[in-house]
Amino acid sequence: MNAGERAVPLEQAMEGAVLARALRDDHGAVLLAQGTVLTSASLAALRRRNIDHCWIVDLSLDDAPDKAQLEAMRQRRLERLPIVFRGTPPGTPGADLQALLLRYRQGEDA
Amino acid sequence: MTPLILDDVIRQIRELPSLPAVVLELLSSMEQQDIDVHVLAHKIELDQAMAAKTLRIANSSFYGMQSEVTSIAQAVSVLGFHGIRTVVTACALTGSFTPVAGSGFDFQGFWRHSLATAVVARLLAPHMRVNPETAFTAGLLHDLGTLVMATRFPDQHALVRSYRQRHDCQMIEAELAVLGIDHAQVGSALAAWWKFPAAIQQAVADQHAIARLDAVGLPLLVHMANAVAHALDLAACEAALVPPLSPAWRLVALDDAAWFALLRQAERTFDELSRIMLA
Repeated sequence: MNAGERAVPLEQAMEGAVLARALRDDHGAVLLAQGTVLTSASLAALRRRNIDHCWIVDLSLDDAPDKAQLEAMRQRRLERLPIVFRGTPPGTPGADLQALLLRYRQGEDA
Repeated sequence: MTPLILDDVIRQIRELPSLPAVVLELLSSMEQQDIDVHVLAHKIELDQAMAAKTLRIANSSFYGMQSEVTSIAQAVSVLGFHGIRTVVTACALTGSFTPVAGSGFDFQGFWRHSLATAVVARLLAPHMRVNPETAFTAGLLHDLGTLVMATRFPDQHALVRSYRQRHDCQMIEAELAVLGIDHAQVGSALAAWWKFPAAIQQAVADQHAIARLDAVGLPLLVHMANAVAHALDLAACEAALVPPLSPAWRLVALDDAAWFALLRQAERTFDELSRIMLA
């Protein structure tokens, strides 16, 4: 299984889900292409063809960054703060917002 | 470069495609009390792409449903009329403009910032006594004037971006220097043409009018959400620049813990919604 996809029995597949892999019939012919959004009509058609499962995009399984990646991301965000606030003079309301963001970024867990 | 005349811009706006009928109906129904939600659900179902996105958004953590929403009728029931209007309007807006090939305009970055502003606006809304769904729509719309200029006046807008890059200034300063008109004016005209509620038109028009942003309400909320979205760097644009912030932002009395929770939620929700709406 690839990250970001999961197999579901057809009876559990929902309208709005996106196919992570193309659906094929017993002869290998493509019934629905990868990326197709499932609708009530397509689900009914698949049931009539006795398709028993499909692979759908699973947003909850997207590649979870590891700890080192998270720390690198946090560092980059900290480095970006003075860049995105480069037009903000000290002592202005914008500087208060910058200070708030700095406290927020510094408190983030790696 | 000859400055743009607002009347010319408005003429271009009137040539833009109309929003889908279901969106116009939703917008015009803001004051109506007798909406038949079953008819509404059926109309949404007729647009396959919109129906699919609506279901995915209804099931996202944005709405935090306890159980899975599996049909449009159920989505209308659990999100309520205001929630459905937000979702459908958002889906329609993100599909209403097509990039101009070779224009150099960062279309993806534009929508990422608009969505980020919408998400922050919705989270700020309860603290500013504003309807969260109205806040989301206003946030999503706030920079549409930029999109009109970039797609209907691509050559002029390229000069604006060039000016901004040379001077490292705010976009609004570059627009006024090069074109004599800014995206807030254009966006407000578009919001009026598309018959968005007057409160949203006002919020779009006043988003950078610091002198007028002196009270808690939708215009200040959009102004703040725009600044916070830039500060969080959610659009991931290298040239991002936080705009000047009104002193009135201090009227929103949140302590650090409340702000941190809001910022964390904004980042998570944006991440999830951007994968659904901007894919």
